[in-house]
Amino acid sequence: MLAYVVRRVLQFIPVFLGVTLLLFVLRAPGVLPGDPVRLITGERAISPELYQQVVEKHHLDRPLYVQYGYYLQGLLQGDLGTSFQRDMPVRDIFAAKFPNTVRLALAAIVIEIIIGIGAGMVSALKRYSFLDVFVTLSTSILVSVPVFWLGMVMQVLFGIKFKEWGLPFMPISGMSSAQFPDWAHIILPAITLASVSTAYTARIMRSQLLEVMGQDYIRTARAKGLSSNAVVWRHAFKNALIPVVTFIGIDLGAMMGGAILTETIFNWPGVGYEIFLAIGQRDWPIVMGGVIIIVFAVMIINLIVDISYAFLDPRIRYGGEVR
Amino acid sequence: MSGRSRTALVLLLVLGLVVLVAGAGGCARDVDTFVFYINEPYVIDPVNAQEEMGINVVNAVFDGLLDFDPKTSELIPAVAESWEPNADATVWTFNLREGAKFHNGRDVTAEDFKYAWERILNVPESGSEIAYHLDPILGAVEMQSGEAAEAEGIRVVDDLTLEVTLAYPFADFEYVVAHPSLAPVPREEVEADPDAYAMMPVGNGPFMMSEPWAPGQYIRVERFDDYWGEPALLDAVEFKIFSDEETAYLEFRAGNVDFTTIPSGQIQSAIDEYGESSDGWEAAPGSQVLLGGELSTLYVVMNNEDEHLSNADLRRAISLAIDRETIAQTVYEGTRTPATNIVPEGIIGWEDGAWEYSRYDVPEAERLLAEAGYPGGEGLPTLQLAYNTGDGHEPLMQLIQQNLRDIGIETEFDPMEFAQLLDVYYEGAHQLGRLGWVVDYPIMDNFLYPLFLSTSADNLAFYDDPEVDEALVAARQIAEEDERVRAYQEIARTIGDDAPVVPVVMYRHRHVVSERVRGFVYSPMILANLHEVWLADDEE
Repeated sequence: MLAYVVRRVLQFIPVFLGVTLLLFVLRAPGVLPGDPVRLITGERAISPELYQQVVEKHHLDRPLYVQYGYYLQGLLQGDLGTSFQRDMPVRDIFAAKFPNTVRLALAAIVIEIIIGIGAGMVSALKRYSFLDVFVTLSTSILVSVPVFWLGMVMQVLFGIKFKEWGLPFMPISGMSSAQFPDWAHIILPAITLASVSTAYTARIMRSQLLEVMGQDYIRTARAKGLSSNAVVWRHAFKNALIPVVTFIGIDLGAMMGGAILTETIFNWPGVGYEIFLAIGQRDWPIVMGGVIIIVFAVMIINLIVDISYAFLDPRIRYGGEVR
Repeated sequence: MSGRSRTALVLLLVLGLVVLVAGAGGCARDVDTFVFYINEPYVIDPVNAQEEMGINVVNAVFDGLLDFDPKTSELIPAVAESWEPNADATVWTFNLREGAKFHNGRDVTAEDFKYAWERILNVPESGSEIAYHLDPILGAVEMQSGEAAEAEGIRVVDDLTLEVTLAYPFADFEYVVAHPSLAPVPREEVEADPDAYAMMPVGNGPFMMSEPWAPGQYIRVERFDDYWGEPALLDAVEFKIFSDEETAYLEFRAGNVDFTTIPSGQIQSAIDEYGESSDGWEAAPGSQVLLGGELSTLYVVMNNEDEHLSNADLRRAISLAIDRETIAQTVYEGTRTPATNIVPEGIIGWEDGAWEYSRYDVPEAERLLAEAGYPGGEGLPTLQLAYNTGDGHEPLMQLIQQNLRDIGIETEFDPMEFAQLLDVYYEGAHQLGRLGWVVDYPIMDNFLYPLFLSTSADNLAFYDDPEVDEALVAARQIAEEDERVRAYQEIARTIGDDAPVVPVVMYRHRHVVSERVRGFVYSPMILANLHEVWLADDEE
């Protein structure tokens, strides 16, 4: 197992180099039009001194491979460069925002796991019941509703209308305020972010569990006289879970990259919106730093997901010894 | 039921409870905090403060030598209680008041201004992009290039007297020093921890930072009780950072924000609900929507050195062909005003219609086009019309193209990235193109000098009239303000007759203020008078 983990971690290196190189080439002069100094200093004409200073600070006078060398050198020392537009280290910008994204993603994943898996199981075990129809129908609706629309409807309903009607209401946006405890602020964005994935999780869980329940070994288990709870939990559940865990893992990785729409609507200061803004402002150090952080997060989460298979299915083992 | 399913059920119940309890958490908010919507500022340290958001924070936390009257934009004393130039406006003496204090309790002295300004001018160290404010000062340019360690023209006479010598006469220099970013800075605080200072600057204004800037969330300031003037009436201001104006507006409607931007498409419904301010800048209950002018103009720059566009009659015809009213009403939904002048409303000395050709008159445009030698556009090649992509300028450019086609001038779009567009402009490789200009000070000089002096780097029309050059330099030396303003009005008309650029629209506010707010003005300089604002007590 350890050898497997080490090998996987070593695989990070080429992926890393590939991603940074690609991003670097994409921002090279000739590929992207315009003088990067102008991007940094804006519309107003600047003095030659300032121009020179900006060039030197960002090593813009050096060949691209030298610039890339500087970038990698900084990267190894944990330095992601300095933002073009805001005079701040990229590392500091993301250090402030990444924990917020993680918080929101974890809250959304918790909802996804509890409600998605729960609803999928109920739906499968009580097939063709009212609950099953309800889950199938509501997941179809959730999958087709645009996230931003759902978010705004919830904001207007729970934030404005409930207040007008004298009902308990919820914070509309942000991470903190004087009138609500901090954790209240995460509810609406987490539900919004989790909505589509929860629906998918429920559907995958339902179909997987139905499939597993029809297997021979389940019939054998029943024939042995096991209670239906034991059959479901000890035999069916874990086996049905593997595709669900894969899906949730990929989803968590995607969420680590920030959810641009949800973060924007709920004014949640995460990495997604930061990167989105930076793309608009052609602030390449932020874009690159953000992508690197995302790549890193996705790779680590994928590794964790792969390792978790071994616990879910004893037949899956990592390492070289099994032929 | 097995243990696990019971756990799942319990978790579900807990989640449901959490949702309910969260709802019950709503309570009345702190009544004396004014909540002010901003986007994430770039910088809130005066050393590099430059955009609307950062400047408003700096304006609350710092006080410069002089200040702008929020409604008239005229100068009022701040840390300097009096000031005077010498006869040719080259040496300025500022007498500082006693008792002006930094938030750390120390007195503000002339030395603090010298330190703050030289901190900006030390470009190799500070990387400041706003050193151009100080360009008129003797030795400022040398300091920016690293040739000099200090600016010769900034002299501390004594603790309360600052003497500034300029490199050339400049009678409007007093407006420059009123810019919020030129406030005094306490050296000891910066040197103790420069990074901390950037996040929580110590100033001398009516409000002090109560905690460091929380990126993406808020910047909180509270009243500074030892302020030299009348202390602020508000207990605190929270600059709440939003990434989306729609969300900010929802928070406003829910009663959680006191000042915000109205999203496009909702201006009329906001007016219906909250009422429109009579002058556009000052809010009162029932007239809370602010649509006053801002000091910036959107225009089409024409390359006056181009073989065709060097013909003044052609330029005049182009300017007359543009239907500014339709552009303001359709493209900008009435949130812009037709520009009748490159100088926008709100600048001291602004005259409506000062540019003769900055109006919509198709027959006259056709006549001038013929006079220029291109009757009905005949003989005129297709002109390039450049603009930057990605910022939603397409509808504007399409209307301009249609307007020009109406009198027979064919244009071809030349869309490109903003940085590339600037390259093209600076190289003079353009014919027609979109541009905007935002001023730093409410004076005509700030539009005319950079945009039309033949040697100015920002003169992207490549307008070159030796008489105008001479008049612009001469006007800077006129000490008497009314006379100076008249001189600038004359210059503006002269330039307008040549139609070197096509002013299209002036920017306007689109803000709304909550009903409980009293005395609030959002000036044409896009500065809020937060220290004069109070909140009505009867609001819940």
